[in-house]
Amino acid sequence: MMACMLYDVVWPKSPMATARRPLSPRLEGGLAGKRVGFLWDYLFRGEELFPALAEVFRAHGAEVVSYDAFGNIHGPHEAQLVGEIPSVIAARGIDAVVSGVGA
Amino acid sequence: MLRASVAAERAGVPSVSLITPGFERQALATGRGLGFDGMRVAVLDAHPDALSHDELVAGFLANTVPQVIAGLTAALDDEGSIAADEPQALDVVATGTIDDIVDLFNDRGWSDGLPIVPPTRERVEAFLAVTGHDPWRVIGVAKPSGREVTVWSVAVNGVMAGCRPEHLPVLLAAAEILTGAQYGAEHSGNTTGADALMVLDGPCVIELGYHFGPGAHREGHRANTATGRWLRLFLRNVCGFTGDEHDKATFGNPAKPVLAEDMEVLAEIGWGPLSGEFGFGPDESALTIARINSTIMIGSVFGATPEAVVPYLADGLVRVTGWDLTHVYGLGGGHYRPLLVISPMIARVFGRAGWSKQQLKEALFAAARIPAWKFEALIGEWSNLTAGRPKLHDLAAEGLVPPVFGESADPDRLVPIVTEASKFLIAVAGDRNRANALAMSNDGLHGMWTSRFVDTSPSLDLVCRVDGEDCAG
Repeated sequence: MMACMLYDVVWPKSPMATARRPLSPRLEGGLAGKRVGFLWDYLFRGEELFPALAEVFRAHGAEVVSYDAFGNIHGPHEAQLVGEIPSVIAARGIDAVVSGVGA
Repeated sequence: MLRASVAAERAGVPSVSLITPGFERQALATGRGLGFDGMRVAVLDAHPDALSHDELVAGFLANTVPQVIAGLTAALDDEGSIAADEPQALDVVATGTIDDIVDLFNDRGWSDGLPIVPPTRERVEAFLAVTGHDPWRVIGVAKPSGREVTVWSVAVNGVMAGCRPEHLPVLLAAAEILTGAQYGAEHSGNTTGADALMVLDGPCVIELGYHFGPGAHREGHRANTATGRWLRLFLRNVCGFTGDEHDKATFGNPAKPVLAEDMEVLAEIGWGPLSGEFGFGPDESALTIARINSTIMIGSVFGATPEAVVPYLADGLVRVTGWDLTHVYGLGGGHYRPLLVISPMIARVFGRAGWSKQQLKEALFAAARIPAWKFEALIGEWSNLTAGRPKLHDLAAEGLVPPVFGESADPDRLVPIVTEASKFLIAVAGDRNRANALAMSNDGLHGMWTSRFVDTSPSLDLVCRVDGEDCAG
């Protein structure tokens, strides 16, 4: 009978290198009076989805900042534009964002 | 898209990401890799590409928008983190026979489906001892998993893949490319399923036993095959490209063996290697990686002069290029760089005629053309990856593409498939007695051509220590 050698194996993955952070606090009291920014990757028919979303938000009393304020967040300028998101948020007084469309 | 939401969360602003069905786990994993567990998502009813406008918007308003509002306004739970329960690098995660270990690695998604070499601590230490690299040197952070890339993690997967210890410098060069800013490893699981091609050139091809002759891009040679397998295992285990996390490929490809260039023939005809395009000389060993969408074979290239041969090669480049044109204008503007791999026999036709690589590129730029209407269809009507349906003539007038694309408004005029001749890339490999070539389309910014030096000299780390003990050797 063939001898069964045993192997003690190590993990092929690697520890997480990124520090854990909590999500930002959500909008207390709902959307009314808040300013919501849209971030679009210019993919997957966002030009049809975001206008519909904007109507709903306005009906809830929120103000909408168009994706034009951020530029195309997917593509050759992704790193630069994503890096600029905090400054656009601050400059526009944005309280929350909706990004899309991931597929 | 998740990366944008993470930028907002880091700025102290709540976010919700719109995604299509099937991307829930990828979205959460992407957030986790960037430090945020439990990123809020809102899922569309169906992929938008196959819906009418009315179907799309009705489903969005009824089912997705409520998720958006809840994601922005509902109080947060304490979701905890998966990282807390994970093993450490030297922990023994299982003990068993070869069959037990192979089954376990498959069951846990740590293998590519083939049997692996069990990565025991002793075997990994011996693997490292040959080159003397410090196992705990941090190469970078894996994208998009957010996992630490160490020499140890590279070596563990190298052992599993069946690499020999002397291949480690090639694996380390690849790991540097994957963790760097240029390449775009985070896109390695996108839906088109483009997979990475590794091209090796310089003295290390011979020194390390990489095959560059007949069947140059087929499995059958350990160095080429095992290194190609390592890349897939590393992408899976360290970068996180598994089906339940970041790999969303519609089809995907088998692991690609390393394509090694024929340095002797390159020297004979006075051409530099592929890595020469990225700053390396013929006496330097270098690894170059890009993601390849499609490959076609250009067979039986008859001709004794460059003029006779160029039409075959140009036709092959045109035939392999379709949707990829969104990386000429649109999704990845100006980043389309197809690769032409020619056999040494074809390369010698150009060498005998005294043609430089650049001359061949100029000839390809003139000959590899398609009708403007088709170009416009590929980046507009047949793709949702370019806003609007732009006309090349208008884009050229606005300076958004080079003037050659807008020399007239005739839809039947022929236009190039790249923005300039230098965008074509050329490598030489394969059977020296066959006149065939390969044309490969690349995935633009989803895996940009990137080269790194392959340092085969003994590591300066030299004293290879694992957990305070000398490596076995």
